[in-house]
Amino acid sequence: MLKQFRSNIILKLCFYIFLLNIISMGTLYSSLHKGGECEYQLFYKQIIMIIVSWIILAFFSFINYRIYYRVAIFLYIITTILLIFVDFFGKTVMGAQRWLSFWGFSFQPSEFAKISAIFILAKFFSLPKKNDFLKIAITFILLGMNMILIFKQPDLGTATIILLLFLFVGFFSQIKKRYFILLIFALIAVTPFVWNILHEYQKKRLIVFLNPNLDPLGAGYTIIQSRIAIGSGKLFGKGFLSGTQNQFNFLPERHTDFIFTVIAEEWGFFGCLVLILLYWLILEKIINVALLLKDYFAFILTLGISVLIFLHIIINIGMTCGIFPVVGLPLLFISYGGSHLFVTYFLFGVFFNICRQHIL
Amino acid sequence: MDATFIKRIYLTSFLIIAVVLFYYQILRGDYFEKRALNNYVRVVPISSIRGNIFDRNGVLLAQDSPSFNIAVVPYQIRWIKETLFEEIAKFLGYDKNLLDRNYKRNFRNFFTPVDIVINLDKKTAIELKEKFKNNILINVQPIRYYPYPYEISHIIGYVKEAENVFDDIKKYGYSPKERVGVLGVEQYYNRYIAGEDGGYLIEVNAKGEIVGFLGERKPKRGKDIVLTIDCKIQKIASELLSQQRGTIVLMDANTGEILALVSSPSFDLNSFVTSKNVSKFLNDKNKPILNRAIQATYPPGSTFKPIVALAALSENIIFPKTTFICKKIFSIGGYNFHCLSYHEDENLYEAMLHSCNIYFYNVGLKLGVDKIVKFAKKFMFDNITKVDLPYEKEGYLPHNIRYSKNWFVGDTLNLSIGQGMIEVTPLRLLVSINAISNGGYIVRPHILKAIAGKQESLSTNVYLGFSNDVLRILKKSLIGVIENKEGTAYLLSKLNLKIAGKTGTAQTKTKAHGWFVGFFPHNKPKYSICVLLEEVGSSFEAVKLSYYFLKELLDKNLLDITN
Repeated sequence: MLKQFRSNIILKLCFYIFLLNIISMGTLYSSLHKGGECEYQLFYKQIIMIIVSWIILAFFSFINYRIYYRVAIFLYIITTILLIFVDFFGKTVMGAQRWLSFWGFSFQPSEFAKISAIFILAKFFSLPKKNDFLKIAITFILLGMNMILIFKQPDLGTATIILLLFLFVGFFSQIKKRYFILLIFALIAVTPFVWNILHEYQKKRLIVFLNPNLDPLGAGYTIIQSRIAIGSGKLFGKGFLSGTQNQFNFLPERHTDFIFTVIAEEWGFFGCLVLILLYWLILEKIINVALLLKDYFAFILTLGISVLIFLHIIINIGMTCGIFPVVGLPLLFISYGGSHLFVTYFLFGVFFNICRQHIL
Repeated sequence: MDATFIKRIYLTSFLIIAVVLFYYQILRGDYFEKRALNNYVRVVPISSIRGNIFDRNGVLLAQDSPSFNIAVVPYQIRWIKETLFEEIAKFLGYDKNLLDRNYKRNFRNFFTPVDIVINLDKKTAIELKEKFKNNILINVQPIRYYPYPYEISHIIGYVKEAENVFDDIKKYGYSPKERVGVLGVEQYYNRYIAGEDGGYLIEVNAKGEIVGFLGERKPKRGKDIVLTIDCKIQKIASELLSQQRGTIVLMDANTGEILALVSSPSFDLNSFVTSKNVSKFLNDKNKPILNRAIQATYPPGSTFKPIVALAALSENIIFPKTTFICKKIFSIGGYNFHCLSYHEDENLYEAMLHSCNIYFYNVGLKLGVDKIVKFAKKFMFDNITKVDLPYEKEGYLPHNIRYSKNWFVGDTLNLSIGQGMIEVTPLRLLVSINAISNGGYIVRPHILKAIAGKQESLSTNVYLGFSNDVLRILKKSLIGVIENKEGTAYLLSKLNLKIAGKTGTAQTKTKAHGWFVGFFPHNKPKYSICVLLEEVGSSFEAVKLSYYFLKELLDKNLLDITN
């Protein structure tokens, strides 16, 4: 029965992800569509990246997840070195230094930081020692170093995600809660100092988030236009390739971070619900598996994966609706781009291996 | 904390997202739909071409010519606005503030082009375009151009963009730039000249680039109009008046067609179109914008005497041979009233050509104030002439109440020589005196001759019903003013134009205004003329000016006199 459940869950998840692939391609086609012609190059590139992602997923589903317990610290060190590298040699894209180029490929080390953060959390929280304070202190210092490096790039979104990941996973692990509560208070206390070291454009984004009409042509523009796009979709949307906000180019970054607006505009409330439902089904399945796990390392790993996916989705959709500040996170599975796809599919590979190992 | 709890957190978060989406897409969907529509559907106004204005001989007085404006799309230049403006200002040698001001004034929304530089010549506009490429657009708009910006200002008026009028629709992207005529025939006949603005309904993208075409309304060209003005005469009059304050009006005595109407000082119409250097005209204490022929009133002075004489003759109070003795001083009620000299025995003809005050004091006393006012009213002194120009002012006469309570006999004496409680516009006086020339008809003075090639007849006559004998006597007396050696306008007899008329010296608190009003040829009147000069001290200045004016018309063969 368990075996059936396992293969069933893997099959179901693969099916959901496949559905998301279809939605992604359709939406990308529409958002890259301009004046009757699609920018096929980017579109095809994305298809190739999806295929590569599936290969990554398949490959890592055969790698024993216990290996990450051993390489967690090594991975962390590599990531940290890469992050420091970005500081010196990184490619500057849109005012942020996030990219490293190797052999013609660009990638963002901050994406690896998410993976290493999950591994670090899983490893340290599942250590047999009983000293909770030390566990929290060590993980917080390790992740904090990465956060600061990422924050400096500046990539406020990923830094925030890692912080939230730490707090969420910590809260739902068996670590004593009081340390976390202390930590949260401490974080609140240092908030004003963080505000001072924020970049001008980040401050602006946060202010504009509170009132987009302050700067309708500058920082508030994206929020205003994306809200218009979402709202004007109404119940069933304007139809495929018919979103005026999308097709007439009123939405910036609509094939990357703001791709949700394209779905909302062209498929309406109904389409949005389908997408959210798919995400919910995926997360629910992951949590269901997590609850069955007896290996504490695997549990934290699974929890971390689900939290990471959850945070990405909520923050991305939230920011396009204007309920969160614009922080520059992709919509998982849907947005254009390789890095986040590879990371997500890799994590699913890890998760599938956990399923294979445990639910037998 | 139980890990199942995390499921609830996920679910709640997704539900919150769903609620937010429900709010935006279902509850406020219509609102955002409208906003999306406003984003991409634009009305691009196309200004209509205004009709041309010609004089009676087909000389062009006003036309639309292309103006090359430089426009920017706010959204497109939002990051580079400051530097772009600086560079453009530097290139043109303008002040950057001017560009900022224009930008602010013309801004409608982020995607509609905004004019920042107005009225460049074609060459400069193209140079700019080559330098700044796609950051700027050349926006060709019609602009009003007046070949005679000074000579004919008060008749033509000018054209400006009526932005304030349309302030309420500005935010919808409709044309707030409809041009309307201000003053003159541009205003009075705006509805014929203006035509109808058109526009394209288009779809645009975020750069303001056209991506679709929804519809078009073609602008309708305005109608050409032809004026009764003779530009050559107008120019001569304008030149003669250029150093003085005053007005010259030349009118067809029978039809009321105005051939020339000059008010001086004048203003530059083209400056008003481009709103450049207008303050010097607006702040000038000599009031150049005032049309002295129809918007300023003056005491008629002695030019009122023909009306008094006509009243007395009609009422049989005097006869042509009736004489009064003038001893230079006329005493009544302890006050002394003066004449210019000792005229001794004077009949009507003599009194008129000498412009003897004492004769008319006597006549006025015999007539009484009521009769004088009654006849002045008959001649419509307190009415507008209904000339086809905006903002005509009416003159005034003693009002019932005014002369019943605080009216003294001295006031009657003053009134009978056209002083005191009486003021008229020069055009009004011209039209009233003209009635003596044409057999007692008050004509409607007018400026419009044809609209779009179709003759318009604005000539209407009001018959005053005076007996021909009276009119003949009066006309004879007015002929004497010019033809008699002692006449106050004897100078004009040199022209051999058979002029009849009357001079007037209107006393004011400062220097007197000089009048001459008359018509010619007196046997078969064709032209009627009125000259008023402000504060020149004596009527002789007006006579002199009339002489030079008519002489030049004669020399240049501009008068149509065949007898």
